[in-house]
Amino acid sequence: MQLVAGERCALAASSGLVNLAPDYPSKHFLATQTLDEARHVEIFTQRLFDLGVAKEDLESTIDRYANPNLVKFAEVLLEKVSDGDFIAGVVGQNIVLEGMAFTVFELLEATSRDLNPKFAQTLSGTIADERRHVGFGENRIGSLISEHPEKKPEIEKMQQEMSYYMLATFADVFSASGESIDEGRKLAAQQGADSLSTEWHGADLETATIEEIEGVLADTVLGEFKNRLGRIGIEYQSPSVPA
Amino acid sequence: MTPTGTASNQGDTTDTEAEPHQLDEETFYGEVRSFSFWFEAVEGYLEGRPYGYDPAMPEEQLDQQHRERIVTTLCNYCVGEAAALEAASGMVRLAPNHNSRIFMATQVADEARHLEVFLHRIGQLGVQDPEAEVQRLAHPNIVAFKARLLELVDDGDWDASVFALNVLLETLEFTVFRYHARTADAITSQILDGVVSDERRHLGFGENTLGHHLVAHPDDRARLTEMKSQLDTLVLGAFEGAYDDLGLHRDQRPQLGRDYLEAVERLGLLG
Repeated sequence: MQLVAGERCALAASSGLVNLAPDYPSKHFLATQTLDEARHVEIFTQRLFDLGVAKEDLESTIDRYANPNLVKFAEVLLEKVSDGDFIAGVVGQNIVLEGMAFTVFELLEATSRDLNPKFAQTLSGTIADERRHVGFGENRIGSLISEHPEKKPEIEKMQQEMSYYMLATFADVFSASGESIDEGRKLAAQQGADSLSTEWHGADLETATIEEIEGVLADTVLGEFKNRLGRIGIEYQSPSVPA
Repeated sequence: MTPTGTASNQGDTTDTEAEPHQLDEETFYGEVRSFSFWFEAVEGYLEGRPYGYDPAMPEEQLDQQHRERIVTTLCNYCVGEAAALEAASGMVRLAPNHNSRIFMATQVADEARHLEVFLHRIGQLGVQDPEAEVQRLAHPNIVAFKARLLELVDDGDWDASVFALNVLLETLEFTVFRYHARTADAITSQILDGVVSDERRHLGFGENTLGHHLVAHPDDRARLTEMKSQLDTLVLGAFEGAYDDLGLHRDQRPQLGRDYLEAVERLGLLG
């Protein structure tokens, strides 16, 4: 459910950015990104249908289960797009949102590879798209930032705000996932636990606690933000830690 | 069902091919508004054609006047395609349901590709700065139509935007491009064939969406008919501009305008 909500935000943002792009090559890239995001929305939505969500209940189900902090994360980004701020919009979309999605999908792919290979394969294709999107963000925006250094404080504030809501979303989702992760591990044990142990960014996903996995995920995403923002001349701002 | 675009990729649409507006609603929604349908449709006429045509195809020798006429025509096509790209991208957020959102996203990619291939072709024909040439040669009517279309999108008016983009503008482009593909040089003709295949899908979406809407909300018919009356001058003026660029004789023009009238008549919006 959170994947659909996140991808819907990415679709709305990337399509909105097409009109704001100052040159045709950027418009063309963002048009292909719009298509990618639509495909992601479609495949994750289909996953919901496969899991039993009725088509007529799709919107109400998303409204009901989309994490409120993820919704706020999306609102911060979409406000920039609605205000016509191309540079902030691309940083929010192609570095913050895509950077988060890229790492979350990597984690999900690692945990699904053996237990749910169909879903893992879906995620692999999505990860390849996200890598291209992040690359565009870094390449195109670096030069625009150097032309408009006055934009930096506002963009840094947006990054900090989005990062806060991202961490709050992680906290909500992981705190509610304890039972399902335990169930997954039991299932893995029944299927042959020795072959299912997966190392991800230094954590053994088979034995790590929920808090440890959440911590590794948060550190990995924030580390990516710091590196990528640094490459385009933006100073990473540490978010406050959600209560 | 064979995807419409695939079947028409050679530019030789047959009478037996089902037009999207002729599909029943359930089939239409299931077939046409998905990423996989779009992908299946376009791969037939895009594969091996990075700029919309087979790179092995030789360039015809064009005299100066003919070349300038094609450049002027393509520049005005670019104005229409830029309008379509900006409108479609804005409409993704306005789409009232999942299927329509996905379809509009595929249309965004289509429109961006059209703009890309036309700009590339203008460059191939010897224009150093195609974007500047588009600005220089744009006809006032198509520019005014673009401004009005984007106003509708900015106002968040989904039904009016679908009408202006997917019925009026797409009919104009579908009609003119299809005619032009029959008379243009081989490379331009192949580019236009691929674009026409897309326009057919877009037009089908517009007619199905609005047709369904007008059955459920018949009171909206008067509003859209009024809008058509307001836009007629711009649409017909854009037709005239395109005809002039193509060097089309006056007695051939009503034949092409009929497609436009048939499209709005199918929606009961002749006024």
